[in-house]
Amino acid sequence: MISHDIRPILSALLRNRTGAVLVALQVAIALAVLVNAVYVVKQRVDKIGRPTGVDVENIFVAISAGFATDYNHAATTRADLAWLRRLPGVRAATLSSNIPLSGGGSATTLFQTPEVKGEGTFMNYFDVDESGVDALGVRLVAGRNFRADEILPEDPTGSKPVPNIIVTKPLAKALFGTEDAVGKVTYDALGHPVSVIGVIEHMQGSWVDSDKLDHVGLLPRRAVGPNATYLVRAVPGQRDAILKLAEEHLSTSDLRRVLRIVRPLDYYRDRSYQADRNIAIFLVTVTALLGCVTALGIFALATFNVNVRTRQIGTRRAVGARKADIVRYFMVENWLVTTAGVVLGAALALGVGYALSRAYELPRLDLYYLIGGVLVLWAIGQVAAWQPSKRAAKVSPSVATRTV
Amino acid sequence: MLVMRHISKVFRTDLIETHALRDFSLEVAEGDFVAVTGPSGSGKTTFLNVAGLLEGFDTGSYSLDGVDTSGLSDDARSRLRNEKIGFIFQSFNLIPDLDIFDNVDVPLRYRRMKTAERRERITSALDLVGLASRAHHLPSQLSGGQQQRVAIARAIAGDPKFLLADEPTGNLDSLMARQVMDLLEQINEMGTTIVLVTHDPELARRAQRNVQIIDGQVSDYRPYESHVRPVREAAPQAAGATT
Repeated sequence: MISHDIRPILSALLRNRTGAVLVALQVAIALAVLVNAVYVVKQRVDKIGRPTGVDVENIFVAISAGFATDYNHAATTRADLAWLRRLPGVRAATLSSNIPLSGGGSATTLFQTPEVKGEGTFMNYFDVDESGVDALGVRLVAGRNFRADEILPEDPTGSKPVPNIIVTKPLAKALFGTEDAVGKVTYDALGHPVSVIGVIEHMQGSWVDSDKLDHVGLLPRRAVGPNATYLVRAVPGQRDAILKLAEEHLSTSDLRRVLRIVRPLDYYRDRSYQADRNIAIFLVTVTALLGCVTALGIFALATFNVNVRTRQIGTRRAVGARKADIVRYFMVENWLVTTAGVVLGAALALGVGYALSRAYELPRLDLYYLIGGVLVLWAIGQVAAWQPSKRAAKVSPSVATRTV
Repeated sequence: MLVMRHISKVFRTDLIETHALRDFSLEVAEGDFVAVTGPSGSGKTTFLNVAGLLEGFDTGSYSLDGVDTSGLSDDARSRLRNEKIGFIFQSFNLIPDLDIFDNVDVPLRYRRMKTAERRERITSALDLVGLASRAHHLPSQLSGGQQQRVAIARAIAGDPKFLLADEPTGNLDSLMARQVMDLLEQINEMGTTIVLVTHDPELARRAQRNVQIIDGQVSDYRPYESHVRPVREAAPQAAGATT
């Protein structure tokens, strides 16, 4: 029945098209922006939601800085770790050179041969102790953990050999392909051999925007003082209580150092993704506003069309149109306008998507988003036109006999 | 064809009640050509709206071609209007954005008629009013008289039994008015019942029967009797006098 109505509605629309063309353009722009914005938002949300491999929710970070001349970094950190590990509710604690997902970290390059030739393989590394694996909550899937006697002393120059290393699976794959990495040897930037003793399933490193975020290695080495960064992993539900206890203790236990920061690890993760989150919120807001403005435009056009056609509606009712016929007339008319906009908008969306993918190296627009956007715009159009159409149906047929 | 008995219709506002029709009774037989006249404010338009099922009424009964219209749903009234009644309005009420063909098509579409049948009916209706060659013109490209002839084609295309004309020549000059009246008479001769609402006594005289409404009542109501005086023959002089 609707297709039956389309031709005369379309021909009437084409004879009176200024408002319709403007609204169709608005729909087209809205679709192009909506589809690309939602696509970008989805990518950001996916990025933020990637698994970290780290037990982020149950870990907190404490950073102290020794300042007194008689500050003994080795003794103080040993005492701190012993105290932390004794606390009920603490699963593990480690001294670490860096904070995962924080945006700050250390990196080096590993090589296939001691001659240190070629491009090498990027590694983001963390100095940890024998509790590192457990304190991070990463899952060891091959080989073994560090023993306490393997933990090397501080190395301020970073030039001494580190014979053993635990790597993530992606780093192991980058180094050795599909071969079992445990027991394999690689070489640090100074040509020292490094043996892989364990492989962890997955761990995100320091820089969330890096394409090698999961090329991570754990080194068995005491982090350099006088700053001390502790990663403390609590049993689920205990983190905040332990954080508070740790803050009280560490700030008073040794007055030769100052406790600078005590924060949950998710604070650092959230801070790293702040820009992504802000872009997502901005785009969602702009898209929602654009959707509202488009709905208002469609509503205004439909309302205008109803108002200027009161007599015509009365005449149609007089010659036999039911209320449902009048509603359908305006809904079909609106659908035609929206569809014209949607067709134009689809071309525009693909064009914008292509331009964005070229300019910002984004993946090409997924056509499912375009289909979704078309459906959303159609729905917005029909919802916006519903009230004016219902109002049109209320026009009395006796309007036809009123003298102008 | 049309039987109204003791119809009343009251318009109410917060302050006043207006009795547009009071104890209004009228019968129109099939094939009749009745002119309804009356001064301004007498209730002619209300009668037209009630007779055309464009408005309801408060009390009384109204049957159209044997169908009791009281208590009908809005959809049923629409269907009855579409099938039984053809409307001719003073201001033509053509849809300006549709061409002549599509204007005549409007009531047929609401009858869910097949395309081929609609096309045939539209063509023959436009033929009858002499505008078949203008089928794809817009109303604005036609004169007033031509527009009213298109409106007549729209009214008769669905082959209604009953034609309701509201001051059909009110916006036309006398020559065009005469052509329109000639056309109405021709349609009546083909068997269609016509009720013509007008305030023009000259036009009324061309009908077979005159009914006058004063203060919402038929001033000379009597149950229907066959006509003894075909007024139509006097029409050419009457129309000629107005040119």
